[in-house]
Amino acid sequence: MSGSGFKVKALSWAPYIEPVDVATATEEQLAAMQVTPSNTKVSPYVRTLAHDPESYVARTKLFNAIMYAKGGLDRAERELGALTASAVNRCVYCASVHARRYVELSGRSDVVEEIYMRGLDGPFEPKVQAIVDFCRTLSETPSRVTREQAQALRDHGLSKAEIIDLIHSAAIFGWANRLMHTLGHSTPVEAK
Amino acid sequence: MDQIDILSGLKPDSEVYRARRERPEFVEGAELCRETVLAPRNGFGISHAMRAALAARMARLIGREDLARAYDLMLEEAGSDDELAAIAAAEDLSSDADAFTKALVRHADFVTRTPRDSTRADIERLEATGLTNPQIIALSELIAFVNFEARVIVGLSVLELVA
Repeated sequence: MSGSGFKVKALSWAPYIEPVDVATATEEQLAAMQVTPSNTKVSPYVRTLAHDPESYVARTKLFNAIMYAKGGLDRAERELGALTASAVNRCVYCASVHARRYVELSGRSDVVEEIYMRGLDGPFEPKVQAIVDFCRTLSETPSRVTREQAQALRDHGLSKAEIIDLIHSAAIFGWANRLMHTLGHSTPVEAK
Repeated sequence: MDQIDILSGLKPDSEVYRARRERPEFVEGAELCRETVLAPRNGFGISHAMRAALAARMARLIGREDLARAYDLMLEEAGSDDELAAIAAAEDLSSDADAFTKALVRHADFVTRTPRDSTRADIERLEATGLTNPQIIALSELIAFVNFEARVIVGLSVLELVA
């Protein structure tokens, strides 16, 4: 268990399509974006997805439950699931956000360094390896996920309830990556 | 039991079934999301039948024939035709299919299989075919949802099999 000091740079995100303009948005879009007189600053990501407010609202609620619900799988390990999916799908923006959160929560910059410099093969310590292997196959080729991969998670002490949380964190990034990486691209953070 | 329980092969007395019920926000959230991408109030001109056909197709590409059959049924209920049935069956579209339909199918196939290879050109292709911004987002959310759902089912299925 050690930090390596490896740092992942924060990134911004820019859409390929014109996002919703808060000034001309419909009532439903404003509600979806949670725009109020005191909150008119909305990220390009939210404004892009607000073109379809119905799906945006439902997905955001599910996303927040999966990543932040109390109890169950350690939040750091949910972030590792998210990072693994994002690495498989090459979503540079999602990977940077969730690599940073994973390090904040776990201190494991060494794991992130390994993933960034050498990829998902490892070797990682056994429990991390079990999580990465399971989430990697689930993200890449779901039909190849094996019972042995799930058993490995159990053998490293994860309960079935915790594994349900892990499945959802990897799967919701199969979703998020298919939005962020297809609808836009990462950009350097603009100097303030 | 909901669609995800049944397709994951969960038994009502199993630990996985019970643990899933400890996360009602996942269970209800997935069903609510399904509604918003398969049968939305505002579909932006992409019909419920087309959405079901695309969902069946993507489930087949992912290798979940059981999930595909659930969307085949949804397609039947929404009203199918030869072209929609071909889309659902993951067949190639006939050359006289309209450009809009071809663009939806191509994008669903591509983003399901190789999202990592996406570039700006793929979105520009949709725009060039006449898809509006809401249609591009609605299509993207539908594609992403089915990919999510299939992975949840795959994960829960293997989890049900281990001790």
